[in-house]
Amino acid sequence: MSRRSSTATGRPGFLVYGLLAAVVLGSALPLYWSYMIGSHTKDEANDSPPPLLPGGHFFENARRVLDTIDFWQALLNSLIVATVCGVSVVFFSTLAGYSFAKLRFRGSSTLMGFVVMTMAIPTQLATVPLFVLMRNYGLLDTLAAVALPTLVTAFGVFFMRQYLIDAIPDELIEAARVDGASMLRTFWSVAVPAARPAMAILFLFTFMTVWTDYMWPLVALQDTETLPVALDRLALTGQGQTTDYALVLCGAGLATIPLLILFVVSGRQLVAGIMQGAVKG
Amino acid sequence: MRKRTAPTRRLLAAAAAGSLLLGLTAACGDNSDPTKSAKQESLGEGDQLTITTFGEFGYDELIDQWNQENPDIQVKQTKVALWDDWKNELNTDLQAGSGLPDVVAIEGDYMPAVVAAPDRWVDLSQSEVDGRWLDFKSAAATTPDGALLGYATDAGPEAICYRADLFKDAGLPTDRDEVAKLMTTWDDYFSLGEQFVKNSDAYWYDASGSVAQAMLNQVPYPFEKSDNAVDIENDGLKNVYQTVSSHVGDLSPQVPQWSDDWTANFADSKVATVPCPGWMRSNIKDNTGDPAPKGAVWDVADVFPGGGGNWGGSYLAIPKTSTHQEDALKFITWITAPEQQAQIFEKYGNFPSQVDALSDPKVTSFTDEYFNNAPVGEIFADRAAAIDVQPYKGPLYSDILGKFQDAINRVDAGKDPDESWATFEQDVASLQ
Amino acid sequence: MLTEQRAEAAPREPATPTVDRRLLRRQRRSRWDLKVSPYLYVSPFFVLFGIVGLYPLVYTVFLSVHDWDRLYYRRGGFNGWANYDFVLHDPVFQKALVNTFSIFLMSSVPQIVLAVVIAALLDGQLRGRTFWRMSVLLPFAVVPAAAVLIFGSLLADRSGLVNQVLAQIGDWPVLHQLGIGPVAWHDHRWWSHFAIAGMVNWRWTGYNALIFLAAMQAVPRDLYESAALDGGGKIRQFWSVTLPMIRPTMVFVIVTSTIGGLQIFTEPRLFDDTPNREGGADHEFMTSTLYIYVKGIEDQFYGRASAAAVILFVIIVAIALLNFGLTRFLTRRAEK
Repeated sequence: MSRRSSTATGRPGFLVYGLLAAVVLGSALPLYWSYMIGSHTKDEANDSPPPLLPGGHFFENARRVLDTIDFWQALLNSLIVATVCGVSVVFFSTLAGYSFAKLRFRGSSTLMGFVVMTMAIPTQLATVPLFVLMRNYGLLDTLAAVALPTLVTAFGVFFMRQYLIDAIPDELIEAARVDGASMLRTFWSVAVPAARPAMAILFLFTFMTVWTDYMWPLVALQDTETLPVALDRLALTGQGQTTDYALVLCGAGLATIPLLILFVVSGRQLVAGIMQGAVKG
Repeated sequence: MRKRTAPTRRLLAAAAAGSLLLGLTAACGDNSDPTKSAKQESLGEGDQLTITTFGEFGYDELIDQWNQENPDIQVKQTKVALWDDWKNELNTDLQAGSGLPDVVAIEGDYMPAVVAAPDRWVDLSQSEVDGRWLDFKSAAATTPDGALLGYATDAGPEAICYRADLFKDAGLPTDRDEVAKLMTTWDDYFSLGEQFVKNSDAYWYDASGSVAQAMLNQVPYPFEKSDNAVDIENDGLKNVYQTVSSHVGDLSPQVPQWSDDWTANFADSKVATVPCPGWMRSNIKDNTGDPAPKGAVWDVADVFPGGGGNWGGSYLAIPKTSTHQEDALKFITWITAPEQQAQIFEKYGNFPSQVDALSDPKVTSFTDEYFNNAPVGEIFADRAAAIDVQPYKGPLYSDILGKFQDAINRVDAGKDPDESWATFEQDVASLQ
Repeated sequence: MLTEQRAEAAPREPATPTVDRRLLRRQRRSRWDLKVSPYLYVSPFFVLFGIVGLYPLVYTVFLSVHDWDRLYYRRGGFNGWANYDFVLHDPVFQKALVNTFSIFLMSSVPQIVLAVVIAALLDGQLRGRTFWRMSVLLPFAVVPAAAVLIFGSLLADRSGLVNQVLAQIGDWPVLHQLGIGPVAWHDHRWWSHFAIAGMVNWRWTGYNALIFLAAMQAVPRDLYESAALDGGGKIRQFWSVTLPMIRPTMVFVIVTSTIGGLQIFTEPRLFDDTPNREGGADHEFMTSTLYIYVKGIEDQFYGRASAAAVILFVIIVAIALLNFGLTRFLTRRAEK
C-alpha cells in the first residue's frame, strides 16, 4: 500500500463531511430511539406523537427487565459461550493456519482447498440434524451444545493462513529448527508471537459472531438462555396486551451495552481487521 | 516437485472416512427414550418444583399460599403470555426431551395430541379425584386405556359481554335480559350488529377470529372426523368461514385477536360485544382499563347465539421427564381442587370445571362489579348447562385451528376469502 | 523445502557410540516430528469440523429420504423422494424461496452501492479518520435481535413512528396527491421485504464500506495522477479508475453477502407480530431458513425440513459456482 500524497484526492470539503455525518446519524438513530423510549414509562412510550427526548425512567425500566428475564444469567452464558468459541477458534486456527502457511506436507494444498470450499457451506442448513445429534448426546439445553458448532471455523483457518504466509519469514523457522527446537516449540516461540495481531482480530470476530447468533441457541437451548434468546422472550411477555415498548426497548438497549463497550475499546482493531481481511482475501 | 496425487487422495479419503466414522458413532449414541420415566429425586434444600402456565391461570396467590403451607415442596411458576408461544416451546422441549418443567399447563385444544402420545405423560388417575370434573372435561384427558393424563383447571362456557353505554348511544336496549333476548341465534346477532354500526363509530365485535372460534365451538366435527381423518370440507366449517368473511367489511375491526391493535380498540371504546368465556373477563378488564374509562360500562348477557358453547379451559399435566412426579402430583391435586378453583373464579373469572365448585355458593352468588354488578356466577353456570355440543377434537385440532385463524386474519387484512381458503387448504395439507 | 533439508543435514559422524545412539534417537524423533506435526496441527480442525459441520450435512441428506414419527420423535422408514416431492410442491416453500431472493436482492444491491459511496467518502484525507470509520461500523456492534426489536417498534403498522410521520406528511397538499401515507410494513408482502432488507442493510453497509475502503486505498496513486493528467474530474476518476480496480473486492463482497443473504432468519422471525411467527399471517416474509426451522423444529417434519435444506444447499452451491465463474471471468478481463 503506497502512501498517497494529498494532491491526488485533496482535502475533502464540507459536502463530504456533511454526507458522512448523515450516515453516522443513520447508524446511531435506532440506538438513540431505543434508549429514548426505554427511558420513558409505558404510557408515555405509547403516546402519539411519541416523545423525542429521553425521559427519567431508564433505571425503573431496567429493573422491570431484570424482573422479567434472567438478564445476568443470560449475559454470563453469552459471555462464556462467546469466549470459549473465541479462544478455541483462535487456537485451532492458528495451529492449522501455521501448518498450511509454513509447513510442507503431502495433501496440504488439497486440504486447504477443502477448507476454502467449506467456507461457502451454509451450516445453518444442518440445524435439524445437529439438533438430533445434540439430543442423542444429551447435550441439549447446555452451553456446550451452543458452543460446539463454532469451536472451529473454516474462515479462521483461512484467515490465519493468509496472515501467517507473510508475517513469518521462513528464516526464522529455519533458525529455530537449527537450534534444535521441536516443531511444537517452534510454533510457540516463532509462530504465536508473530500471529498475535491476527489472533486478536480473529478472537474479536468470533466473539461477536457467537454473541449475536440467535438461531442456533434458540434451537439448542430450552431453559437456558443467551442474550438474544432472552430478548426474544422479553418481547413475547407482553403479548395479548399493548406492547410495552418501554420495557422491550430498554431490554434491547441493555443487551447492546456489553458489545458497545467492547466496540469502543477495540473498535480500532476491528476496523483494521476488516480492512486487512479484505485486501488479503 | 514430487507427484502427490495418489497419496493425497488416499489421505483425503482416510480423513473423510475418519470424520464420518466419528460422526456416525456420535449419532448412534444412546437414544434417550421419552417414554421412560426420569429417575426420581427428592426435592432438596433450595430445590423448587417448576410449573409453566400461559395467559392468566390465576395461580399467583394460591402458589404463595401453598409455599407457606408446604415448606418441603416449594413451587416456582413461569408465566408465558400466549398459548401459541408456549405450545411451540412445549413441542421443542418434548422433542428435546429436556427443558420441561415438572408441571405443564396445556390448552384444552391440545389435549387430544397429548392423549395420542400417552406414554410420554404420567398417568394421574387416583381415587381422590374420581368425579371431580365435569364429564366432558375428564373424558378429553383420558386415553382409551383409561389413563388420566391431565387435571382440568377451568372451563370456558360462553356468554356475550357487551358495552351497555355504546348500546345506549346506538339506540339499542341496555338491560342484560333484554339484550339476551335479541341474540339467541347467530342471524339475530349479526343483524343486530348491522343495526348497531349504522348508529355508532364502534365495531360490533372484537375480532373476526374471536367470533369464528365461538361459532366453531358449536360445530360437532370442525376439522377431523371421528377416526381422526382430517376433513375441512364440511358444511359446518364452511358456514363459519363464509359467515365471518362476509361481515369483514362492516362488523369487524379487521385486526387479529391478541394483537396490539386489538388490545388498543378496547380502551378506545371501539368494541361493542365480545364472545365471552369466563376467562375473557379478565382480558376485557385489563384491556379496557380498571377502573374503566369515563362512561364505559361493560355488562354480561346470559345468552349465547346458537345455544351454548365452550371455549377453552385448560389442564395441568406431568411429563415423564419430571424428576419430582410425586410432589408434582400432590401439588396439582391441591391446586385443581374445587375450593381453589372457586377462589380463582372470584378473583380472575376463570370458570371452574369442577362439579363441586359449580354449586359452591362462592361461585353461584358471585357478582362482578366491573361488569355492572352482573351475577356472573349464575350466568356462567347457566351457560355451562346450555352447552349441548362438544366439538370433536383430534390430535391435529390445535394445529389446524392455528391455520384457520391465519385464514381469517388474511381476510381481515384484505385478502380475497377464496384465495385465503385455498392457502388454508395447503397449510392443512402440509400438517399431515 | 526448508525443514527437510535441515533435518538431513544433521551430524552423521558421532564422536562416541553412546552419543551416537542418543543422537540417532533424537534424529528419528525429529524426523517423525517433522512428518507428523503438520497433520497433527490441522487435524483438530478437520475432526471437529467433520463432527459438527460435515456429518450433520450428510445426515441431512439421510433424513431427507426418511419418514419421521412426530409423536415419538423417532426416525421412520425410507420413503424415497416423498419429502422432496412435498417440499417442491409446497406453495409455502415456493413463497419462502421467492421471499428469500426478494429480500436478498433488496438488501444486497442497495447495500453494495451505498457501501461503495460511503467508502469513497471515507477515502480521503479526513480529519478524525478513526472516528468516522468506527462510526459507520457502529450498527455491526448491535445484537441483531435487539436491532429488530428497535426497528419493529419504529415500523409498527399503526402506532410506529415512521407511519405516524408518513400520515402527517401525507396530509400535505402535493405529497397527498403522490399517495404518500402510512405503509403496511407487516401485512404488505413487498413492503415487509423492504423493512427486513432495511435492517440487514443497516447492520452490514458500514462493514462492507470498510472492505471497499481497504480496496480503494490499495489502488496505486499514479493511476489517479495519469487520469488527472488526462483531464478527468473526481467523478470521472471514480468511474474510470476506482471502480474497475476494486472489482475483485466487489465480487468478494457479493459472494459473502450471497451466503449471508440466503440465510436470513433473525429478522423475519422477530419482526413478526402474529402469534404463529411463521413469517406473517400469509407467510409474506417467511424466508427459506425460517421455513426449515418451522418445518423441522416447530412442526417436527424432520424429513421435509431436511429435504428443504438439501434443495437450498444445491441452490446456494449453484450460485457459489456461478459467482466463482464470474470472478474468473472478471479477473481475466481485468488482467488483459
